[in-house]
Amino acid sequence: MNPAVAAINPEKILRDLRDLWAQLARDQGSAGGVLRACSMTLIAVAEQHDAPDAEHARKTIGILMHGHPSRAIVLTPSEGGEFSGRVFAECWMPFGGQQQICSEGIEITADAEQTDEVARLLVPLIAPDLPVVLWCRGPRAFLDRSLDPLFPLANKIIFNTRAVRHPNSAVEFLRRMRKDGRLVADLAWTRLTGWREAVAHLMDAAPEGWLAASSNGRVRIEHGGIRPGTRSLYFARWIERALPGVSVTLARVAGQAGMHSVIFEGGNAEMSIRLVGKTSLEVRTGERVYSALLRPDSEECLMHEELSILGRDPVFERVLG
Amino acid sequence: MPDSNPFADPLRFERQVPECAIVIFGANGDLTKRKLIPSLYRLAYERRLPATVSIIGTSRTPMSDDEFRAKMHDSVKQFLEDSPFDEEQWICFAKSLHYVAGDLSDRALYTAIKEKLTALGRTNVLYYLSTQPSFYADVAEGLGAVGLGNSGPDGWQRIVIEKPFGHDLASARELNQRVHGVFAEADVYRIDHYLGKETVQNILAFRFGNGIFEPLWNRRYVNHVQITAAESIGVEGRGAYYQEAGAVRDMIQNHLLQVMATVAMEPSAVYEPDAVRDERAKLLRSIRIMSPQEVPLYAVAGQYAGFRHEPGVDPATQAPTYAAATFFIDNWRWAGVPFYIRSGKKLPKRTTEIAIQYNVAPHALFTPDAGGVIMRPNLLILRIQPEEGISLRFLSKQPGSGMRLRPVSMDFNYGSSFGERSPTAYETLLEDALTGDATLYTRQDMVEASWRVVEPILEDWGSRKFEFPNYDPGSWGPAAADEMLARQGHHWRNS
Repeated sequence: MNPAVAAINPEKILRDLRDLWAQLARDQGSAGGVLRACSMTLIAVAEQHDAPDAEHARKTIGILMHGHPSRAIVLTPSEGGEFSGRVFAECWMPFGGQQQICSEGIEITADAEQTDEVARLLVPLIAPDLPVVLWCRGPRAFLDRSLDPLFPLANKIIFNTRAVRHPNSAVEFLRRMRKDGRLVADLAWTRLTGWREAVAHLMDAAPEGWLAASSNGRVRIEHGGIRPGTRSLYFARWIERALPGVSVTLARVAGQAGMHSVIFEGGNAEMSIRLVGKTSLEVRTGERVYSALLRPDSEECLMHEELSILGRDPVFERVLG
Repeated sequence: MPDSNPFADPLRFERQVPECAIVIFGANGDLTKRKLIPSLYRLAYERRLPATVSIIGTSRTPMSDDEFRAKMHDSVKQFLEDSPFDEEQWICFAKSLHYVAGDLSDRALYTAIKEKLTALGRTNVLYYLSTQPSFYADVAEGLGAVGLGNSGPDGWQRIVIEKPFGHDLASARELNQRVHGVFAEADVYRIDHYLGKETVQNILAFRFGNGIFEPLWNRRYVNHVQITAAESIGVEGRGAYYQEAGAVRDMIQNHLLQVMATVAMEPSAVYEPDAVRDERAKLLRSIRIMSPQEVPLYAVAGQYAGFRHEPGVDPATQAPTYAAATFFIDNWRWAGVPFYIRSGKKLPKRTTEIAIQYNVAPHALFTPDAGGVIMRPNLLILRIQPEEGISLRFLSKQPGSGMRLRPVSMDFNYGSSFGERSPTAYETLLEDALTGDATLYTRQDMVEASWRVVEPILEDWGSRKFEFPNYDPGSWGPAAADEMLARQGHHWRNS
């Protein structure tokens, strides 16, 4: 083992965790004590050489703990080959409660090139018998193979392809991982839930429009940016999988990157969904126009949705192919 | 076009409550103030209700919409459970509140409700009966008389009926017949809020979502089951109601028999409303009906000292504030396993739990002489409230030399594994009714089966004169309840 890596002793980290809990219990004294909560291990990989990203990850994890109490492990890449580890706790008092709930965390700073060593370190630090979720926060996973050694540790791997340069390659990468039997998720797909819900409601409310669209119908997905992002690609595939007779096209329009609108045409029917502002959709079906509110797309909301699905996600799997 | 929506994604999409109206009869009552409006507010806060929802309160008290809103504002602030009150959200929510005053026996009230619904343009309507039970049938017929209550292509019309569903089997049947004169059975939602509790629903997850427990869930391994619903408080101003109902009608006929059915039912093939309810109903029908001679042996009535001095209570009342019973289930899984059920007021603490006691190990390897303990059976405790969770008691070696055993507990605590707030039972059940999911509602056959189970007890107790009071506040009930278990070689788990 690299001598620098050996400086992090998993047994010492586990001992520090035990001491931390003892300290928390002492601090609370007779005030009801603390409740130790853990339903999974959540390993967050911050982006390379990006201290603010690690900080952001910790903040998001702090919020996520309320719904998904976990042993959180934040991996922060170091610039100078530094290796270190420390423990922390996230505590909160449930509304109207009398006992603090606490989740534990471990922060490991390690050389980004030494992920295989880090993976070995992580094995004893994973909470036994509980699911392990690996959260690759940025495009690093798609740029090189440096995160590959971490993948076998996890039951589910959450990526974020929002900022990738080559969306098609990223989707292909996820498809291959799925084919290899891994449970994968992509926050770019999670961001589509509101759009997809709006489409599903259109189907519920106006099935006759779909009847026309389902055979020889056309769907145009309008997106900004130079090329369609993963969201537009996913959305197109989702429509194709749901209605195999429909022809789906991606069309570039002026404006910011991302999906702008979806237009469905079939027979005499036309339906459309357009993004209005940042948080709502305008849905048109025949004469009827209404608004649908998109779900908040903050990182914690997206992660909350993904952490609620620890098993297979058949719809996303179909989309990946 | 496919039969079902090809875009559906039940893993991720929220259930959608369609555009609808909720009409609450008894809008000036306690249930509306404490549970219904706070639950609807919370559902709206979580955007689980459509922004266009209309909530129409009705009662005899004359009130304007604004007066009703002001009254409900104070109630929601006071009774909202486990979540803060948001004044801005209230302003939006309050716009959906309307009020219609009228007498339940006056047709003009139903005409006014119909006009209100027409004015609001609502064709999907949920009627919630939060009135005195004696008005249930009148309200259903009143709605029918003005042409309301029939689901059709333009929208659904459902009715939620609070317990008690009748006061005995005959009255339950009569109520059913009159309600069915207007509403189809599929549109009748008989609410038992115990079934809406997360932890009661979790019994199904625990039993049928895991492979480890179900094989041990039968007469071969289970010695007996205890179901306890204890209240530390008394009747708290509900003396008049309670002396009419008593502990059997108030708790056992509905809540506790439903819990028992959930604990003991067979798995359904699918998790669908009627499949689950069929199994519950089957279990209720399998409970052995006591003969008149068996009632004194298998059922115990109690009344706490001081009940007769409560306001509104007859000083000579024979109403039980405590009831305990031993039930047997006549099927292959449970033959011979006693199910002890008890419920009482003014007991030492507030707790609702199910204790499944397993048989002791067949051979005592670790005897007291060898430094061990008297063999104690394994206990699986399903805690419904408070401190919702599951515990398993087993023996473990004490650290140190020798082979000394000590009972220890392995605990699962809902709060520590799911830090999030759980929806209240009424939030769950209201949303279910609004989306047409009747899984957690009781069906007429279930109601009738449970009345059949308790009727011999009610008949026997109705014809006897008890030496009440027979237990002190703060005790675990009358001694006769302990004797009932002692006769089977068991004792109550009083901890």
